[in-house]
Amino acid sequence: MVGLSVGEKHFIQGGIAQDLRTDGRKRLTYRPISVETGVIAQANGSARVKMGKTEVIASVKAELGRPSSSAPDKGKVSIFIDCSPTAAPQFEGRGGEELSMELSAALRQCLLGGKSGAGAGINLSSLSIVEGKVCWDLYIDGLVISMDGNVLDALGAAIKAALSNTGIPKVNIASVATSDEQPEVDVSDEEFLQFDTTAVPVIVTLTKVGRHYIVDATTEEESQMSSAVSVSVNRQGLICGLTKRGGAGLDPSVILDMISVAKHVSEQLMNKLDSEIAAAEAMEED
Amino acid sequence: MEYVSPEGLRLDGRRPMEMRQLRAELGVVSRADGSAVFEMGNTKVIAAVYGPREVQHRSQQINDKALIRCEYTMANFSTGDRMRRPKGDRRSTEISLVIRQTMEACIMTHLMPRSQIDIFVQVLQADGGTRSACINAATLALADAGIPMCDLVTSCSAGYLNTTPLLDLNYVEDSAGGPDVTVGILPKLDKVTLLQMDAKLPMDIFENVMQLATEGCKAVANYIREVLMENTKQLENRRGV
Repeated sequence: MVGLSVGEKHFIQGGIAQDLRTDGRKRLTYRPISVETGVIAQANGSARVKMGKTEVIASVKAELGRPSSSAPDKGKVSIFIDCSPTAAPQFEGRGGEELSMELSAALRQCLLGGKSGAGAGINLSSLSIVEGKVCWDLYIDGLVISMDGNVLDALGAAIKAALSNTGIPKVNIASVATSDEQPEVDVSDEEFLQFDTTAVPVIVTLTKVGRHYIVDATTEEESQMSSAVSVSVNRQGLICGLTKRGGAGLDPSVILDMISVAKHVSEQLMNKLDSEIAAAEAMEED
Repeated sequence: MEYVSPEGLRLDGRRPMEMRQLRAELGVVSRADGSAVFEMGNTKVIAAVYGPREVQHRSQQINDKALIRCEYTMANFSTGDRMRRPKGDRRSTEISLVIRQTMEACIMTHLMPRSQIDIFVQVLQADGGTRSACINAATLALADAGIPMCDLVTSCSAGYLNTTPLLDLNYVEDSAGGPDVTVGILPKLDKVTLLQMDAKLPMDIFENVMQLATEGCKAVANYIREVLMENTKQLENRRGV
């Protein structure tokens, strides 16, 4: 995929060992992040996030649906990721499907919690309208437009930004129905409820190259990785999900070390992201 | 339903011969060899070009010219009602083919034998006229990639509703069931490379509608030329010439 010569490989590995990467960053420095919200007119909320040359779009659509029988007081959230062939020619046809599935699964683990919905970053109870009858179904769609490494973190950030941009229409219950009928609801097109996104975690991926690990790896750096650990951390510093990728095994103590570093880095990322989202929202209102 | 009011205004407030707002930007996908965003009103597409490069599958290699490939994809969120289409459904395959044939008409493929050029178009928002928008975006992306072309291809659609020819249909007008004529032209050479119509139309009216669509293509061509000029000037400034 990435054609690198032996010299280039040594250069990347040596740079990471000396804490000075090929683009001049330190091991734990991010590329510049820019956020733009409200980019998709038809969606309830949307955002475009750029991390260096990686660019992703996330959109949130809300539809009325029926809650599942196992969790009648909760709404449903589904996450789908697509890798556009514009990002890389190998995503042509069904080529992007494997990566799309991997990313969707990782994001579901990080944002939606367990099967019961416990430990979810998104408050599912707030999506309930009439218990056991009507709830909101949130469809979160991510699209990778341009890919230069660290797509998972960018998607996590884009989903967080899109959710804070989301307005869910206020619903008035027109008639109280008897036990087996569907109640009639009236969806307001003027009043919107803002979504509380303070609990939505950010995802930090630490990529291990040689003996060291780095954040926000580019495609070239990712091609040299032995393994990567993605940790999602929320505002309270709690770990919401964890995935490990890559073939090589990791020492358990290294994993714990990586998690603590990820937690530390996530604070900076969260603050940076929150200020970017606030700036983007202010821009949109002007 | 009334698509043109007695005052001569369309549903979105345009005049019958008025186009939607155009916007284009080059170099949006930094890893691609050439890329562009093209917007016609609420329709928004991204095109990325990879190549000319080595042919991926040897059996497809053509010895005297370049192989052009094209893929059209729609984002899940691009339409009003969210839907999950399987990749490579009939409609996308047909549009991919149309775009490929249209672009092949202008690329000087004989200059790049035994190589391959990939054109990927991704629809971000669909509000009618995606076919035209994709062709316009692909032209810009090819120009951005520096691929030799004998002319720019531009495309625009026109329809006929309430006994009025309408330029650049949006989604509501497009789904009204009237005829929809999509034209692609080579503006400098003054040749038609793409012509598609559904529904039926009397001969003399068809002539008018096609004329209108061709005028639309020319307007798009002027805009595209402006964007390319502006981009070239910026490149020149950056090099400090």
